[in-house]
Amino acid sequence: MKFQKKRCVAMLLAGGQGSRLLCLTQNTAKPAVPFGGKYRIIDFPLSNCVNSGIDTVGILTQYQPLELNEYVGNGAPWGLNRNHGGVQILPPYQGFKGSQWYKGTANAIYQNIEFIDRYDPDDVLVLSGDHIYKMDYAAMMAAHKERGADVTIAVRTVPLEEASRFGIMNTKEDGSIYEFEEKPKQPKSTNASMGIYIFRWEVLRRHLIADEENPNSDNDFGKNVIPAMLNEGLKLYAYSFNDYWKDVGTIKSLWEANMDLLGLNPEFDLGGKDRIYARNPALPGARISSIAKTTNSMIAEGCEIDGIVKNSIVSYGCVVAAGAEVENSVLMPEVVIEAGAVVKNAIIGEGTVIGKGAQVGAAQVLKDEADRKITVVGKDHVIEAGKLLQPGEVI
Amino acid sequence: MNAVGIIFSNIYDSALSELTRERTVASLPFAARYRQIDFLLSNMSNSGISQIGIITKYNYRSLMDHLGSCAEWDLNLKNNGLVILAPYATSHSGIYRGKLEALYNSLDFLENVDEDYVILSDSVAICAMDFRKILQEHIDSGCDVTAVVTPYKSNLEKTFPIAVELDGKGNVRDMGVEVGLRDDLGGMGIYIMKREELIKAVKKCSIRGRYHLERDYLLRDFNEGDITIHAHVFRGTALFNFTTMDYYRNSMALLDPDVYHGIFNQRGLTIYTKVRDEVPSYFGENARVDDCIIADGCRLLGTVENSILFRGVKIAESAHVKDCVIMQGCEIAEGAVLEGLILDKDVTVRPYTVLKGTREHPMIIEKGANV
Repeated sequence: MKFQKKRCVAMLLAGGQGSRLLCLTQNTAKPAVPFGGKYRIIDFPLSNCVNSGIDTVGILTQYQPLELNEYVGNGAPWGLNRNHGGVQILPPYQGFKGSQWYKGTANAIYQNIEFIDRYDPDDVLVLSGDHIYKMDYAAMMAAHKERGADVTIAVRTVPLEEASRFGIMNTKEDGSIYEFEEKPKQPKSTNASMGIYIFRWEVLRRHLIADEENPNSDNDFGKNVIPAMLNEGLKLYAYSFNDYWKDVGTIKSLWEANMDLLGLNPEFDLGGKDRIYARNPALPGARISSIAKTTNSMIAEGCEIDGIVKNSIVSYGCVVAAGAEVENSVLMPEVVIEAGAVVKNAIIGEGTVIGKGAQVGAAQVLKDEADRKITVVGKDHVIEAGKLLQPGEVI
Repeated sequence: MNAVGIIFSNIYDSALSELTRERTVASLPFAARYRQIDFLLSNMSNSGISQIGIITKYNYRSLMDHLGSCAEWDLNLKNNGLVILAPYATSHSGIYRGKLEALYNSLDFLENVDEDYVILSDSVAICAMDFRKILQEHIDSGCDVTAVVTPYKSNLEKTFPIAVELDGKGNVRDMGVEVGLRDDLGGMGIYIMKREELIKAVKKCSIRGRYHLERDYLLRDFNEGDITIHAHVFRGTALFNFTTMDYYRNSMALLDPDVYHGIFNQRGLTIYTKVRDEVPSYFGENARVDDCIIADGCRLLGTVENSILFRGVKIAESAHVKDCVIMQGCEIAEGAVLEGLILDKDVTVRPYTVLKGTREHPMIIEKGANV
C-alpha cells in the first residue's frame, strides 16, 4: 500500500524500565508514571509533537507496556487518532528471522525501519519518554533545515560540575559538533545532550543498518551511532534549548519536577498557549470542605479535601480526610489519606491508602535541602493505621 | 438495550431566561464542569442506549459545540450514536409548540430505528440513573407508559410537569399536569413507552391539533381510560433546575457531601463531559478556600467561601467571593467583593468592585460582562 509522504515522523523511546524510580515503575513503564496532578510523563513529548505540528508518532515500548498501551489507546486525547499517521504503539515482534527484544535505543528504531519507510519521511525525530518540558520541535526542525544538517541534537547548558553526568557535545562556534563525550571525567564544555535528535532519515537508516551489522555495538544512539556519524564526517549540529527541562529518572528529580509546578511564578508553567494534553478522567470538581486548609498546592478534579494540604500536588480523585496533613508531597491519582494521617516529603503511588493516624516521612527535620529524604509508597498499597514510615523509606 | 433515547433540549428555557439567552437548558453549565445534558446523556450511555436523538428548537449552537463527536459519552459509534434533530420547518409546520409537535417533526427518526422502546426525557433532571432497571420494570408492569417520578422537593418554585398518585401496584391512580397533587410524587419529565405506540400517539394528536405531551396525551388519554401509566419511583439524589432560583439553590446543594456523592459517586454511573485539557487548579500561599467545588484550571489567590467555581476561574489576591456560582473563564481582580451572585461565562470583575446579591435573591451577571 502506498502511503502519503510525511515530512517528519517522531519515534518515542518508551521502553526503558526506569529502575531508579524504584517501586513506582514496578508494574508500569516509566513514561506511564503520573505527573503533575493529571498527566503522565509521556503526555509531554506527545503534546509537544502535536503542538509542533507532528502528527505521526511511533511509540517504542518494551517494559511493562500494558498500562502505557491502554493509556495511549487510539491517541484521541492528543488528537493523534488519524486515518493517515497518528500514534502507533510499536512493541518488539516476531519476524521471519526470529524474534528479539529491543537491544538498545538504536536497535529499537532499526527494528521499525519498515514502519518509518511507509511514510517516506525526510527526517526522523527521536525522543525519549522520561523528560518533563515544553518544546517546539518545529523550531528545532527549522534550524536543522536551515543549516542543511544531517543530524541536529538538542543540548542544554548544565553547570560544569554536573557535566560529567551527561553526554557532552563539544561544538565549534557555528554550533557544529566536532566531538561527543559520554559522561566525561574532564568535561570540555557544558552542552549536555537532551536525548532529542533529528536525523535525515536516509542517513539514519544507513547507519542503523551498519550499526546492526557490527557485533561489538551496544546499539545505542549516544554510545555508538552518534560517534560513528561523527567519524564519517557528517554534519552534526547542536540546537540549544534552555527553557525548563527536567529528566525525571530518579525519585528526587521526579519530586522536584512536581514541586517546580507550584508557586505564583512556577519554575515550570503547565498553562499558557501550548497545552499539555492528557487522557482525562470523568470526575466532578474538587470538593474543598469548610475545615480544609489548602495552600500553595495544586489540586485536581475529583478530590475531596477535609484536611490540610500544603506545598503539594494532589492528583485527581484523591481524598484527604479531616485531621490529615499532606505537606511537600506528591499524591498520585486516587490516593486516600485517612483521618489524622501525616504525609511529608513523600510520593504516594496511585490508589494507595494511608491508614488512620499513619505517619509517612513525618519525622524529618530539614536543615538543608540536600538532607531532604523522599519517602515513597508504590501503587495500590495499604499502609495500616498508625504505621510509622521513616523518612526515605521506600515501599 | 432495546430502547432509543429522545432528549428535549429546550424545555424550561423561559423559566431560566437569564441563563438561557444564548443557550439551551440542555447546554446550561452546572456543577463546576458539566452542562445539564451531560447527566442525561451519561445515564443513557451508561445504560447501554446507543441511539439517541436530541430535539432542538433554537439557540442550539452551544449545544452542538458541546456535543462535538460525542466521543466523551462513547456515542461516536459506527452504527447508531447521536443525532441532532434540528427544527425541520415545512410550509405547513412552524416551529413547534410542544413535545408532541417536536416528535411529529422527528417521526422519520422514530420510524427508522429498530429498538422497540423509547425513553423520552427533558434535560433538567440532574441525577445518576440506570435506565435498564426502569425499562424492565416498565415491561413487567404491563402498562402503556412508565413515568419516572420522585418525591417532591419542597423548595422548588415551579411544579413538576406531572404529579401522580399511585395505587398499591405502583401504577398511576390519579394524575395532574403542572399542579401539586395530594400525593407527593412529581414526574421527572422522563417517560418510557413502546416506540410503535408513541408513533401512533404522535400521529393521532397531530391530526387533532394537540401538541402538549403531558396535557394532551398522557393526562387526556389516561382520563379517557385509553392508556395505563406505571410510575417508577426514583429514590436516589436528583436535582431539578426548573428556574434560575432552583439553579442557584441546587448549585449550593452540591456542597453537601451527601448530594455530591449521591450524584457523582454512583457505581457504574459515571457522568461524562467534554474534555478541555485544563491544568489542575492552583491554590495560592494565602488563599482561603472553604466549602467550595473547584474545577480544573482555576487560580485561587484570594478568599472563596461557599461557592461553585467552573473551569479556568481566576481569583486575585485580596478578592473575596462568597455564595457565588462562577462560570468558566471568569476573572475576579484584587480587592473585589462578590456575594450571592451567578456570574455567567467570561465575566471580568474589576479591582475593588463590590457586588452583592443574597442567597434568597442572587444577582446574575451576564456572559462576557465587564463590571
